[in-house]
Amino acid sequence: MSKPLVLMIVLVSFFSSCVVVKEYEKVAINDPDMQLSDLPCDRNVTIAHTYREGTAGANGGKTGGGCGCN
Amino acid sequence: MNRIKENIVLLFLLTSFLAFSQQQQEDEKSYKKRVLETVEVDLLSSYYNQDGDNAAVTGGIGTEELTDATATIIIAIPLNEDDVLTIDAGVSAYTSASSSNVDPFDGNRQADPFVASSGASSNDVWTNLTASYSHTSDDRNKIWSALASVSSEYDYFSVGFGGSYTRLFNERNTEISVNGTVYLDSWAAIYPFELRPFAPNGNGLNNGFFLDNAITGNSSYNPQFVPFKNENRNSYILGFGFSQILHKNVQGSLSLDFVQQQGLLSTPFQRVYFADIADSFVGNFQLADAIEQLPDTRFKIAVGGRLNWFLSDRFVLRTYYRYYNDTWGIASHTASFELPVKLSNNFTIYPSYRYYHQSAADYFRPFEIALSTEEFYTSDYDLSKYVANQLGMGVSYTDIFTRAKLWKFGLKQIDLKYYNYNRDTTFTSSIITIGFNFEVY
Repeated sequence: MSKPLVLMIVLVSFFSSCVVVKEYEKVAINDPDMQLSDLPCDRNVTIAHTYREGTAGANGGKTGGGCGCN
Repeated sequence: MNRIKENIVLLFLLTSFLAFSQQQQEDEKSYKKRVLETVEVDLLSSYYNQDGDNAAVTGGIGTEELTDATATIIIAIPLNEDDVLTIDAGVSAYTSASSSNVDPFDGNRQADPFVASSGASSNDVWTNLTASYSHTSDDRNKIWSALASVSSEYDYFSVGFGGSYTRLFNERNTEISVNGTVYLDSWAAIYPFELRPFAPNGNGLNNGFFLDNAITGNSSYNPQFVPFKNENRNSYILGFGFSQILHKNVQGSLSLDFVQQQGLLSTPFQRVYFADIADSFVGNFQLADAIEQLPDTRFKIAVGGRLNWFLSDRFVLRTYYRYYNDTWGIASHTASFELPVKLSNNFTIYPSYRYYHQSAADYFRPFEIALSTEEFYTSDYDLSKYVANQLGMGVSYTDIFTRAKLWKFGLKQIDLKYYNYNRDTTFTSSIITIGFNFEVY
């Protein structure tokens, strides 16, 4: 369990050292395909993965609210 | 006299200037860009089907056939400059072998694990309603949100509530968030048909079913069956998020989720066949030795990262990786990438690939491998070791000017996607989704 935490701390430190991008420079960053989550129409695919696989979480998908047992 | 006139004019000009300045300041102060300009409506529909030969309802053998049609509507309503209310309602109708073979004897054909029964238990409807409310601070750097949800199907009911806090800083290059959600679920447990007469106070082999249907193989059928006393399942989720703009064309995020589950984590209708118990049959159907037994607690941890790169005006690269571990012994790796290709201002295609690998849960036993002396066992292949590959393709039409209008609805985007998913077991599935995004005037 400690491995993911160490990895996360290292990556956070790495990310924090980056340059600041001004608002007027964020044209590409604000592109809808650049959003940092599943695209809206992929929602049901993520739910299917959550139901069918032993894994859940860390992807914005649901981790409760239905048994998904069929 | 002239001096007085000059003073009056000067005073008038000064007063006007001050009044104008004050008004301008108030205008500037009162003007805020709305978090959401207009009401937005998303309609999402999907059709899913799967098949395989390792059904958990029949102890790790038998058809996993399932079809599901889902329709969802999401309405985001700006209440004022800062607050947004989102209503998310969905209905999902499915037909599955797993639910139909809870009672494989109620159809009009001979019971068989590889044939879904056509009886009354073969289909169900899942409904869900979620309401969420978000508030953004005046400087747009702090966001609070709260949600409540309810979902229901024939044998399962769930209520959930939660909240989140997001903080942006570093000229909105950096974002951190924390969220918590609680789901309080309850089963109306349904057990395999042939086990029901063996519940306490049941009449066992004197039940009419066994009097009408001869048992072959081990005719002294005597399964281990005690109905679950606790039918509640609670899930507590705590998540942390961090995102960072790395370059004007690159941004990434990290997320860390902790999930604690307690209560009935077994699925009551999933059969298990023991290696050390002689087999009993009615027709072609092997009678259950027991139902799956899993611990009543499970702790999950998942850490995920995304890195998105705007390669050019034509290509965007979206990547994702997740590592997962839980106290049942499952560890998994998920990696995916998607390469949106902008064919024009309106059309984008979305080729994608996803790789998934998991180790088996400590309690997983294939068909006829579990022993009756063990405390925990399951033959659910969703908890087995496997590798899965998924290929996807999608197309999106976007019109930011919403030129196509239907009454008060302006069509902003249409998405169509298809995914094909294959495990290195016999399991395969596919899903096709279509989504419409409207602005309301």
